[in-house]
Amino acid sequence: MAHSFLSFLPSGGVPRRALVVWLLALLAAVFVTVRSTYVADLSAFLPRAPSAGQAVLLDQLRSGVAARLVLIGIEGGTPAARSAASLEWGQRLRESGLFESVNNGDNRQYAALGQFLFEHRYLLSPAVDAQRFTADGLREAIAETVSLLGSPAGAAVKPVVLRDPTGETVRMAEAMLPAQAPRSDGGVWVSRDADRAVLVATTRADGSDLDGQQRALEFLRTSFAPHTAQGLKLLVSGAGTFAVASRAQIKHEVERLAIAGSVAIVLLMGAAFGSLRALAIAVLPVGTGVLAGIATVSLGFGQVHGITLGFGTTLIGEAVDYAIYYLIQAHVPRSAGRSAGDSHRDGQRGADRWIVRNWPTVRLGLWTSLCGFVALVFSGFPGLAQLGVFSVAGLIAAALATRYVLPVLAPDGAPGLGLRRRLGAWTGRAAAFAPTLRWPLALLALAALVALLWLPSPWRGDLQSLSPIGAQALKVDAQLRRDVGATEAGTLIAVSADSEAAVLTLAEQAGARLDRLVVDGALEGYDTPARLLPSPATQAARRASLPDADALRRRIAEATVDGPIKAERLAPFIADVQAARQQVTLTRASLQGTPLATAVDAMLVPGRAGGSPWRVLLALQTGDRGIEVDRLRATLVGVPGVQVVQIGSELGALYAHYLREAKWQAGLGALAVCVLLGLYLRSWRRLVGVVQPIAAAVLIVLAALALSGAALGILHLVGFLLVVAIGSNYALFFDQVRHGAAGAGEDSDTLASLALANLTIVISFALLAISSIPALYAIGEVVAPGTLLCLLLSAAFVRGPRRERRGHDANGPGAV
Amino acid sequence: MPMRLELRGVLKALAAPLLPSAAMLVAILVAILGSMPAVAAAAFDLTQLTQLLASKRAGEATFVETREVSVLDRTVTTSGRLSFEAPDTFVRENLKPLRERVAVVGNTLTMSRGERSRSVALDSVPEAAVIIEAIRGTLTGNRDALQRVFDTSVAGNAEHWTLDLVPREARLRTQVSSVRVTGRRAEVREMQVVMPDGDRSTMTIEPIAAAATSGSGPAR
Repeated sequence: MAHSFLSFLPSGGVPRRALVVWLLALLAAVFVTVRSTYVADLSAFLPRAPSAGQAVLLDQLRSGVAARLVLIGIEGGTPAARSAASLEWGQRLRESGLFESVNNGDNRQYAALGQFLFEHRYLLSPAVDAQRFTADGLREAIAETVSLLGSPAGAAVKPVVLRDPTGETVRMAEAMLPAQAPRSDGGVWVSRDADRAVLVATTRADGSDLDGQQRALEFLRTSFAPHTAQGLKLLVSGAGTFAVASRAQIKHEVERLAIAGSVAIVLLMGAAFGSLRALAIAVLPVGTGVLAGIATVSLGFGQVHGITLGFGTTLIGEAVDYAIYYLIQAHVPRSAGRSAGDSHRDGQRGADRWIVRNWPTVRLGLWTSLCGFVALVFSGFPGLAQLGVFSVAGLIAAALATRYVLPVLAPDGAPGLGLRRRLGAWTGRAAAFAPTLRWPLALLALAALVALLWLPSPWRGDLQSLSPIGAQALKVDAQLRRDVGATEAGTLIAVSADSEAAVLTLAEQAGARLDRLVVDGALEGYDTPARLLPSPATQAARRASLPDADALRRRIAEATVDGPIKAERLAPFIADVQAARQQVTLTRASLQGTPLATAVDAMLVPGRAGGSPWRVLLALQTGDRGIEVDRLRATLVGVPGVQVVQIGSELGALYAHYLREAKWQAGLGALAVCVLLGLYLRSWRRLVGVVQPIAAAVLIVLAALALSGAALGILHLVGFLLVVAIGSNYALFFDQVRHGAAGAGEDSDTLASLALANLTIVISFALLAISSIPALYAIGEVVAPGTLLCLLLSAAFVRGPRRERRGHDANGPGAV
Repeated sequence: MPMRLELRGVLKALAAPLLPSAAMLVAILVAILGSMPAVAAAAFDLTQLTQLLASKRAGEATFVETREVSVLDRTVTTSGRLSFEAPDTFVRENLKPLRERVAVVGNTLTMSRGERSRSVALDSVPEAAVIIEAIRGTLTGNRDALQRVFDTSVAGNAEHWTLDLVPREARLRTQVSSVRVTGRRAEVREMQVVMPDGDRSTMTIEPIAAAATSGSGPAR
């Protein structure tokens, strides 16, 4: 091989330079590829947020508390066994250090929290104000507390009634009682519908730290093993679980696709060329393309996503087409008495002929394909942008490698013949036959158009359809959520301000407005950090309303006349109030390390000075009815920095926005393809002839999908754009063949290369179509049938020049 | 003469196998007759009591409740109205000394005081549920609910009965030691709750001669 390499010197140093450049570029690409980071979480397929508000939302979804929740169910065995397991195992989980909190109805863990709340009750209780500590106020408060005593409800208050006769503990508990609590049985949370004990854990690992989430989940499973031996079954669900599972799924799929794709194509090429050397040469542009794609993405985005790699198998299918075109079309047939060397002396190397005759068509095919992929780069999804950049870089690299490197290494195309003769003969006959199907196929396209006009719009896809989580897992998740009362946060109020104090004050104002809705019954409740951490102004006001020891003693004496508790017994109360008057204002920082920190951090997002503002997220419990956004907005008018966010509809609106944009981009991409073709063909008639089969193929595939009831989304749109981009290559080749003056042998070679190229594309996209990842099978199920149809329809529809009626067979190029 | 003797003999022969059956017959008769008073006197049991109570589908009453609490210096007395409606509604309204309202419908417990109102799911607060089930279960005659939560024993008869309830679960016995309900016919007259630390509350109930139609309690 080195010998033939060197014998090309007469052509000047260009080929050798090309090889050197190519090898250096490959080396650089390998270097970058090996040092890239590969990620596989789905957040790359969440849209980029156009507005700051949506940025908050997406940020919360990715790494907020909701993303760290793990929902756990224990099934099987007896109720007693399940309760015992929940208690014992729950305690072990708490001690493991991997979870910030584990809630299962076991209140022993709240002893420290209760103590903290009790000690700070005069700062935290919503009932503390100046009126409370007047004689009348004290009398009323003591009467209320006493009315609780003597009933089980007062059991918690009885031990401390002498220190807290006004019942601040009770008022705090009332405020913090959740509207939706799970059923309690045997001391632990159980499901209302099923025989199941339920637990809710919050991982320490951030929602976006998938490795940390995975460690926590693995610990869950391994530490439950002794209970599994007793016959109990563990159910685990939650956002982190889904993320870890989908990452594993993506990794697995990508490996499978890469192996399957490579094997399939290698077998195909082996059968087609029958020569290992040809196979090795065909692999070069593919390898170049893939490496270039990965390296470009890594350099451009900083990391490479697993789905991009999965999509990369299609690049194998496309890049190998260039090699196929070259190897087959540059092939110089060996007629008797001539050797390859003789051909060279004629100056008619296969490579040179190919470069002059076929390369322009291939190059145009490259441009049209690029039109398709470039549109991806501008979509609003970082994941799709990666796919676009990957494909663009890969295709250009593969095409350049074919143009400059392959002529050097295989100046006469593929040496072996393999099944090509037969393939060429067969495709020649099929291509001759195809135009007779023109009318049936046209009718089919027409029927597709009618079906599309008659059916409702199939563009119903949404973000949920991008998730690879199966229906069973989603069902388990919904059941556990219902059991635990952790409904998906439907509506949030986001409050922003520049400082902690300001945001808490605004949160309190918003809370006061929301209280009106709760009293009216329009809202079941809401979560606010201000219950656990009141604003400094509120804390100061409460502190100021506490009277000094003498005044308090006088008022108590007045209040307890004829009352159920004598004044003398309330000395502990007076002491506690005096201590409270000296207490330092609580801040988020002072809560760190206390049991309240987790709960507050779930709702209060600290800001950075000069950067993002402080944010408070008020989750609303709307019950089954929900609440109208307009009513919420009307209630909150006048409170600055407040935003109503309906998560479901926000995400839906975001997706719809990008779908609209994607339709424009796809339209522009298709238009660009048409313009390019028009410029090249320089004839309206030929342009129409080339565009027709592609449009028909798109219509038929679209109608088939719509009839099958599939909900189409952005990825399907991407798929259609690819069909246009790739399918146009076939139409172009057929146009060239039917307008060309080339002999029958060359035509059959071209047709064989077309058929082979199409086969590789269909195989690689069909592999995507059977993947379990929605992002991939959406593209696969459009492109695989689409490109196949493009080939068939091009064979049927693309006409030769009008002259054909005179001299040529009316059915197009002659058979072999 | 020999014929009579033979006849007697034949009769004896015939009667011989019958004699044991006759004895059995008599024994059976005695048992039946004997057990009738036993039936009348035996187990006025939970089933019968709850059937009796359930025959009254709705009702209203006034009550006076006194509580002895060790930490307080005197007994606390509250009074008000209560009402119930089958199958699972119970409302208690304190009128003196403070206006408060506790309403239970199905699984929802709503406590109101002035303008403040909180609703919780009853089964998520089993400690409060104990008392609620005792009252509601008794007033509506819900045998299954009572037996699920309590060990029951009934004494007395339909005219004057006593129902003792002790929570089955040890955990709940730390909240309530026992509840004793007494009543006459289908009306509950008194409820005594004893708590583990010795505190007790006694509620005396005076049914209001209500209209025959079920349904109207104080507004929910």
